Amino acid sequence: QLERGCALHTAHRDGLSSVSSQDVPERPRAVFHTSESDPAKHTEQHEGRLYNIPLEEVNAVFPHGLPQRFQQQIRTFNEARVMVRKPALELLAYLKGSNLTHPAVRYVIYGERGTGKTMTLCHVVHYCSRQGWLVLHIPDAHLWVKNCKELLQSSYNKDRLDQPLQASVWLKNFKTSNERFLQEIKTQKKYMWGKRESTEEGRPLMEVVEQGLARVRSASDAVGVLLKELKQQSHRGSFRLLVAVDGVNALWGQTTLRKEDKSPVSPEELTLVHNLRKMVKNDWSGGAIVTTLSQTGSLFKPSSAYTPQELLGKEGFDALDPFVPIPVPNYSAKEFESCYGYYLERRWLQHEKARTEDGKAELQFLSGSNPRQLDRLAGPL
Amino acid sequence: RIMPVRWNRYDPSYLEPEVKKESYQRPLEELTEEEREQMELKAVRLIKAAPPTLSSSVFSDPMISKFTNMMMKSGNKVLARNLMSQTLENIKRKQLEKYHKAPENEKETIECNPYVIFHQALKNCQPIIGLSNITRGGKTYQVPVPLTDNRKRFLAMKWLITECRENKHRRTMMPEKLSQELLLAFNNEGPVIKRKHVLHKMAEANRAYAHFRWW
Repeated sequence: QLERGCALHTAHRDGLSSVSSQDVPERPRAVFHTSESDPAKHTEQHEGRLYNIPLEEVNAVFPHGLPQRFQQQIRTFNEARVMVRKPALELLAYLKGSNLTHPAVRYVIYGERGTGKTMTLCHVVHYCSRQGWLVLHIPDAHLWVKNCKELLQSSYNKDRLDQPLQASVWLKNFKTSNERFLQEIKTQKKYMWGKRESTEEGRPLMEVVEQGLARVRSASDAVGVLLKELKQQSHRGSFRLLVAVDGVNALWGQTTLRKEDKSPVSPEELTLVHNLRKMVKNDWSGGAIVTTLSQTGSLFKPSSAYTPQELLGKEGFDALDPFVPIPVPNYSAKEFESCYGYYLERRWLQHEKARTEDGKAELQFLSGSNPRQLDRLAGPL
Repeated sequence: RIMPVRWNRYDPSYLEPEVKKESYQRPLEELTEEEREQMELKAVRLIKAAPPTLSSSVFSDPMISKFTNMMMKSGNKVLARNLMSQTLENIKRKQLEKYHKAPENEKETIECNPYVIFHQALKNCQPIIGLSNITRGGKTYQVPVPLTDNRKRFLAMKWLITECRENKHRRTMMPEKLSQELLLAFNNEGPVIKRKHVLHKMAEANRAYAHFRWW
């Protein structure tokens, strides 16, 4: 109890110092909030605090990146608050100090179920979009290897299979987040879409995306062309590229899809997965690759698996090796305090016993300081 | 194999288990003579096994547990409990959205606590007087009869659940249907309140037969 009081005290002192250095807000927000909404300026001082992302930015930067529960929370509370945590600060420090002329460094965020890996990825994506990087955000690679209604044989390569629906959905979301880059970057080769349509050399990449959206049959090829162009042009330095993949273990696992003769499809036979694998290889420079492992959407993996070795398998590990592993633990005592305080302040914890010390201790014990369990427990309370 | 249906399997000397944390944290001096005797008795006598529905959590509510048990089908308590928690969360979300959009002076009138809404809705749905079938001279009459508290609670919960299960669109999820019904009942509107009023009117119409009751 004594150390809890001390932690709150130091946080209060830090809060006072950070508030006095910036403009004083209209009404005093509590200790666990910070008015610093630019991830570039987040330091250890802001650890455990929640920062606000304005709603217009959320729609522009994250058309498809945020987890479902978090999107519901944004709608209920009318604001998007993300907690600044140690793994995210570590990643941001690496990105700030990285040399862009060297080949792209791969970062793998791993951790147990529900500890905040996707939210860390979203924090990094927000930082990069604020800094003006081109963000290639794949919200969940598992969506591309399961539950596909239509599988077309690819016209480019006879062995591979196309997924028009998934590719077109992704292209649409990619267009909303990176409009201005697509106007500036030009293609370097002529591409033929079938017998009659083609994109000339030197046209902006927006036309490739429009082509993919208009002709859904060639959407996967459009995605492939987009990735190839971005990879070739990133080393020039006119833009910096961030490849953010959530659930990267889907690229090297198994799929639940079957061909028409009921034989199983392996991931290499899908065009989207094939192109993404080339993107995640570190043979290009001028950016970074940040990936997340995920057991929740994974196929044929036990639920207790969370380490890179278990989830990626031998093939995936060798393909991603060398990488920088970033473990994401459960909430520390300070982070739990701030999350609990935020729920109380937003009137999310309505039960009268939830405000007492007993209720708080019970919540901490039942959730084991796991962010997802805490969210699910606090729902009905 | 004999299952204990009507008679208790336990010996009468067995005592009930005490679950509340506060009762064990009181120092010895605070207890009166009887309570000290009770404590010494508990140290000697055998204690019944605690049923799985009995919880020492500060958040447990006997009415909510009763409602979840009534919603349960073929012993699937996990599903029933998940549905109940999703219902409470739904109610909270709807009320919070209304709260954040309302102007300042109306904010206090909006109730956001799902437990308060649940209890108030149940209270609003409880009938005051019921009907029972009594046969006299070959004919069955519907006689107005007072109801016990347990029966009132049971009828309110039963009406809510049957209303959600039968009279709604097939594809809506149970938490959505239930949260809508509970919010309507909280404001004294909706089909369940109507059913209660219909029962009251029938009882009022059959007032003449009230003397058939012998208890």
